[in-house]
This record gives sequence, structure tokens and C-alpha cells, in this order.
Amino acid sequence: MAILEIRHVSKFFGGLAANSDVSFDVPEGTVVGLIGPNGAGKTTLFNCITGYYPPSKGEIVFNGRRMNGLKPDKVCKLGMVRTWQKVRPLTNLSVLDNVMVGALCRTNSVNEARGIALGQLRIVRLQNKTNLLAGTLPIGERKRLEVARVLATKPKLLLLDEVMGGLNPAESEEIIQLILDTRREGITQMVIEHDMKAIMRLSDRIVVLNSGEKLAEGSPKEIIENSAVIEAYLGAEQ
Amino acid sequence: MMILIFISVIMGSSWNILGGFTGQYSVGHAAYFGVGAYTTMVLLQFKQVAPWIGIWAGAGAALVTALVIGSICFRLRGPYFVLASIAVAEIFRVSALNLKNLTNGAEGVLVTEIPPLMIGETMVTDWVSKVPFYYTSLAFALLIILVTWLVRISKLGYLFLAIREDQDAAHSLGINLTAYKNTALSISAVFTSLAGSVYAVYVGFIDPSTVLALDLSVQIVMICIIGGIGTILGPVIGALVLVPLSEALRSNLITDALIKAGIVNEESPVGAFLKEHLAHAHVLIYGILVVVVILFMPEGVLGFIKKLGARKAKAA
Amino acid sequence: MAIFVQALISGILIGGVYALIGIGLTIIFGVMRVINFAHGDLLMVGMYATYYLFTLAHVDPFVSIVITIPLMFLYGALLQKVFINRILGALPQNQILLTIGLGLIMSNAIMLAFTSDYKILTTKYSSSSFTILGISISLPLVISFAITCAITAALYWFLLKTDTGQAIRATAQDREAARLMGINVTRMSIIAFGLGAALAGTAGALISPTYYIFPQVGSTFTLKAFVITVLGGMGSIVGATLGGVLIGIAESVGGVYFGSGWKEVVVFVLFLLVLLFKPSGLFGKSNA
Repeated sequence: MAILEIRHVSKFFGGLAANSDVSFDVPEGTVVGLIGPNGAGKTTLFNCITGYYPPSKGEIVFNGRRMNGLKPDKVCKLGMVRTWQKVRPLTNLSVLDNVMVGALCRTNSVNEARGIALGQLRIVRLQNKTNLLAGTLPIGERKRLEVARVLATKPKLLLLDEVMGGLNPAESEEIIQLILDTRREGITQMVIEHDMKAIMRLSDRIVVLNSGEKLAEGSPKEIIENSAVIEAYLGAEQ
Repeated sequence: MMILIFISVIMGSSWNILGGFTGQYSVGHAAYFGVGAYTTMVLLQFKQVAPWIGIWAGAGAALVTALVIGSICFRLRGPYFVLASIAVAEIFRVSALNLKNLTNGAEGVLVTEIPPLMIGETMVTDWVSKVPFYYTSLAFALLIILVTWLVRISKLGYLFLAIREDQDAAHSLGINLTAYKNTALSISAVFTSLAGSVYAVYVGFIDPSTVLALDLSVQIVMICIIGGIGTILGPVIGALVLVPLSEALRSNLITDALIKAGIVNEESPVGAFLKEHLAHAHVLIYGILVVVVILFMPEGVLGFIKKLGARKAKAA
Repeated sequence: MAIFVQALISGILIGGVYALIGIGLTIIFGVMRVINFAHGDLLMVGMYATYYLFTLAHVDPFVSIVITIPLMFLYGALLQKVFINRILGALPQNQILLTIGLGLIMSNAIMLAFTSDYKILTTKYSSSSFTILGISISLPLVISFAITCAITAALYWFLLKTDTGQAIRATAQDREAARLMGINVTRMSIIAFGLGAALAGTAGALISPTYYIFPQVGSTFTLKAFVITVLGGMGSIVGATLGGVLIGIAESVGGVYFGSGWKEVVVFVLFLLVLLFKPSGLFGKSNA
């Protein structure tokens, strides 16, 4: 059962087609990797999916419901949430307050939200830093904070945009474990990543974008042997 | 003077909910002050509606105004929102000047008689002395501080702060930006209008240049910034600094003190100048204060103290 | 119909002066991203300087701009160096508050020094007008329009043809890139603010024969300047030029049809409409 269906989505900025006729499904409970060279349109697709801006053409269907034109807050309430390529902590709020904001998406009780937040912080192992200001955290912990914050919204589908960007191998490993744990909880995830090894380990399916179009789709094994994909990456490196 | 302090606390604290907590700096809050003031005064003087009913009509009018203004201005961000808020307040001021049938234009509204407040057969007050105003304004001041605290610890507080910190991130976390901004503005507008109404009945006379002026909007923002924006007690400190300073200037206290201390000779040109002009200089002093605070203490007195405390903690 | 054409012409003529104010503000915003709320008060300072040059030294207001321009330039440069430079990195809201404070200081200092009495600068030709095709045109307005055109042309030449002018445009386009290319961006900011002040002061000088002079006159012009720059597009000089003329026309024609008391409201409503529907203005960058 596909929890998310992307149907012929295109997004134009003036004359530039950032996304061009992209279609694929995200099966429930899986991890789908979204890869492609820089500028392929991955973050643009995330933005369209989550309502940051509407797609120019095509449909986004989440749990059988058409999402085009819904604002990001509505999207979140329906169960889809995303992290940001450039981390966006609420800098002058404490670590705990940051995650509580996420939790308050699902409850009106501040006490209940606090409980949820503390739980999430334990999962990402930031429970000793609850009173620190988010702005004082180093990048690795900011990324974990952001994951805790979005998980507190109890999503059904989690979109992670280069959540391992700028992390050292130990930090990346922590994130990988987090993603695997989240998968065990039954939460579906779509992950944009440049770290190929991580993508291969994490993904049940991989979708490859290039210059706004879908280049390939398949299991990790299929993708790694796909000559067009190899060419896109090697070609881009030249 | 305490009455003015209380009214300033009300003005500052209510602005704080929109500006300090939610990060939307309106420099047009005089609009709500003026709407409250004019509604109450016009109803009192021309329709003989008692002020304790009139102020709630004023609050209602301010609420409607706020929702209209919010729906127009909240699509704008940062400095553009500031500019729009100023433009809206100016529209109100010029309208008040022009709609003479409603507001008496530049002549303002002068209240000649306030009906006595009766409970049953006993008269509680005839509004002649300052005492009833003292308690009314004190009550509202305490109320707004309580409301501010309640907002801060409730779900509203967290979501307001999130909007202040990063609007788009907050949006993606399920926060309906327009709805919450409007909520903040509504609370803010209602209390600002109450301050305006109490001020109006206390002083007995209002005109567009006092209750709808840009100066007033700036003053309201200053009360918060001086004390410490975004804190619960900040506006209180700001009021405690600004009002006595203003009064001291107005009443020649400072000039007299300087003369008594022998620093300035009454006969000298400096002394004469000060004696004649310092009283009118309070807006000039405001301006200087604004500049000094923004340059050296943008987080206000409370922020400054916090920083000192943090530095001491680091050293220890 | 004749009334409409009359209002249109007056609007265009005064629009030229408005354009000067708008250009000054937009240069400041373009180079420093600061929204200068004291802009109208800079105009007011120019008015007072012109007034006293006229009453004390008998210098004709239009001639005196030769003195006012450099004076205001230096004044603006000083303001930038002492105050504005320190808050270039601050929150935009704080920047606005700072410039509001500076404006308050200026207008109230002038009030203390020269009282808030309305002053009038009457020259021999203050109320002269001539008639073309049945339309009466005010002479001082025509002269100021001509001077405005000359100044605008000189400004365009400066920005397009001189090294400094191009450096300023580079800084406005991308401050970091300009700095990396060796442009002294601090110096550019000082020049930009000086230019802005000079233009505002000149506008003040040009309208002094036809406007009441009093300390608070600045605030209406500040708001008008914002409408003009937002309409034209913040940072676009061409936009400010056109915006100034458009606002001049809107105000003049609006005044005829709605009554002079509502003139300002016409301008503010226009402002809100622009902010809502095309906040980047006619020519602006959407950097908001």
C-alpha cells in the first residue's frame, strides 16, 4: 500500500523546470532513498510535497488524500513532516522547548507535550541538554534535535533532507541508527542523501532524480547496476 | 504618576505579546489605543454611555480592527510588516481628523461629566478624585501581567515563540501562522484599547495627535525594549524607567535639581535655556534613549542584567 | 477635464521632487539594507538650512542648493559613520527603531532651537504662475522640476559612468562579492548615506518656497518616501524615479477628487495595496 503517491509532478520557476513529470510511489513502512546530483530537484520535490509551495502540475496523494495546495501546517497535522537541508533550530529556545513545539502539534496540554518531548530527546540521546539554548549546540546535535522535533509530531511519513550533511562518520552512524529505529516504529521515511553507503544500507527502494526528471527507480541493487545512474553521477563529477 | 505608570505597563505588556513573544513588531499600536479611547469618549460624551460599559465597546471595536489589520498585514514579513502597521495607524489618525461628525476632528473630544458609579443605592465613586483611576488602572495592569504569564506557560506561548524564532519551521511543524498571529494581535489590541480608554477618561480630553500619533506607537515599543523585550517583567521595568523620566522632565524637576546642586546657574544662558526648554524636550529625550538603547542595550535592562549574570557565571 | 489635466501637471511637477526623496531612500536601502526612518527629517533639515540661508544671508533657495548639497552630504556621512554603521548587522526591526530615534532627535532638536512655529519662505516668485493652454502652472514648481531633472541626470551619470558610482551599484547588488573584489564597502555605505541625505535635503530646499516649514514636516515625507520606494521596488533607482512621479500624480488627482484632507489616505491605501499585491514593486528585487 502506497502511503504517498507522486503523480506526474512538475514544478516551474519562471522558465526553469526544477521538477519535470516525476512519478513514483512510497510504500508504507519503508525507507525510500531519493538521490541525484546537486540541482536535480530533490529539495524542490520535498517542498512541493509538504506544501511549502504547490506543484505547477501533477498531484501529490497522501493516504489517499489529494494534497495539492494544502499549507505546511495542514500537511503536518495530516501526518507528513520534513527536516531542512540547512538546519532550522529555534535558536533562542531551549532544546526541550524546541521539541515541545513539535509535540504541541498533537496535544493541547503543555505537560503532556513535555513528556513526549523528553521521550524523544532520550531517543536521540540529547536528554542531558534539555535546558541548553538550541543555538549553542554544535551541528551534529542540531540535526538530532531537529529529528527529535519532527518525530514529536507523531508523523506517518517523515521526509529527511540531507540530515547527514556535514556530519562526521560517528555522527552519521547515529543518524543511521535513528532512521532504522524509526523504521521499526512503522514510520515511513523518504531520505535525501549524498552518502551512498548510507543510502544503500537504509533504503528499501531508491528513486534517482537528474535535472528535474526521474532517471531510475528500483531496489538498491538495481540502482547501483543501472548504467544511466552511473553515468549521471560520473558525468556530473567531470 | 502611578496611574500613568500602570497605563504604560498595560500598553507595553500588551504589545509584548505580539512583538516580544510572536516577533511581529507593530509600530502602529496607537491605532488600538486610539480606537479604544475614541469609542469610550464618544459614547460617553455624545451618547451618555457610562465608561465602564464604553471601554468594553472600545475593546470590541479594537478587536474587529485588529482582525482586519491582521488579515491585511500578516502576509508581510519583517520590516514590511513594520511599515504596513505604521501606514495603517496613520490612516486611522488622518481619518479621525477628517471624520469630524464622528470624532470632532482636530478639536478632539472633551468629557464634561462622568456619571457616578452606583452599586444598588450606594455611590462607589463620582470619579472626581484620582483614586478610582488608580485602582482601575492598577487592576488592568495586574490583569495584563497575569495574562502575559498565562500565555507564556501555555501552548500559545510556545507556538508564539516558535513563530518568532523561525516562521517557516513553525509552519512546517503544524502551526497555522495566520491564526496564531491574529490571536496574539487580538489579545494585544484588546488590552491596548483598554489602556487607551482608561487614559482617555482619566485625562478627560483626547485628540488625534495624542492618541493616534506615531509618537505614541514608538513610545509603546520603547517601553518594551527598554525593559527587555519578550520577558514578562520587561514592560514593567520599561514603564518604571520611562514614565518618571518623562514626568521629571515635564515638571522641571531635573532643571531645579541641577540648579540646586549648583551645577548650573539659574541666571546663566545654559540655566535659562534649560529652565525654559527642558520641559518640552521629553520627546527629544525619548529619541536619545531609543538610540542609546538600540546601540548599547538592544535586549533592554533585563537582557543586560542576564548578560552580566552569564558573564559572571563563566568567570566563576 | 481641465481640472484633471491641471492636477496631473501639478502632480508630475511635485512628483519630480518626490522622486528625489525616493531615490535617496532607495540608495540607502540598496547599499545597506537599512530602512531609513529619518529620511523625512533629513528633508526637514534641508528646509531649515535653506530657510535660514534665505532669511539671514539672502540667498535664493534654488541657488542655495549649491551649499545645501555638500552640507547635507557631509551630515549624512557623519550619521552613517557614528550611528548607522553600528547596526548594519542588527535585526531590521531594531534598525528601524534606531532611525526612528534619530529622526525624533532631529525634529525635536530643531523644535527646541527654532520653535514649532510654522515658517514661510516667500520669494518674489513664490506665488507666480504662468498659463499654457488654459492650464495654470506654478513657477517655483517648474523651476524645482527642472533642477530635479538636472540632478537626476547627474546622479545617473555618476552611478553609470564613474568608478565610485559603479562600486556603489556593485555593493548594492551583492555586498559580500563587492567586498571580495576589493571594494571598501564601509566607505560605500558612508557615501550612500551621504548621497541619500543630500538628495533628501535638496528636495527640502526645492519645496521650501511652496511648503510650510515646521519641525514635524518630516514624518509625512518619510512615509511618502516609503510608498515611493516600495512602489518602485526597494533598491531600484529607476523605480523610485517613476514611483515619485506616480505618487505625485496620485496625490494630486486624489486630492482633487476626494478632498485635500484625504490626500494622504490615498497614498497610504496605495501603499498597502502595493505591499499586498506586488511587494517587490515595479522594478524591485524580491529580497524581502
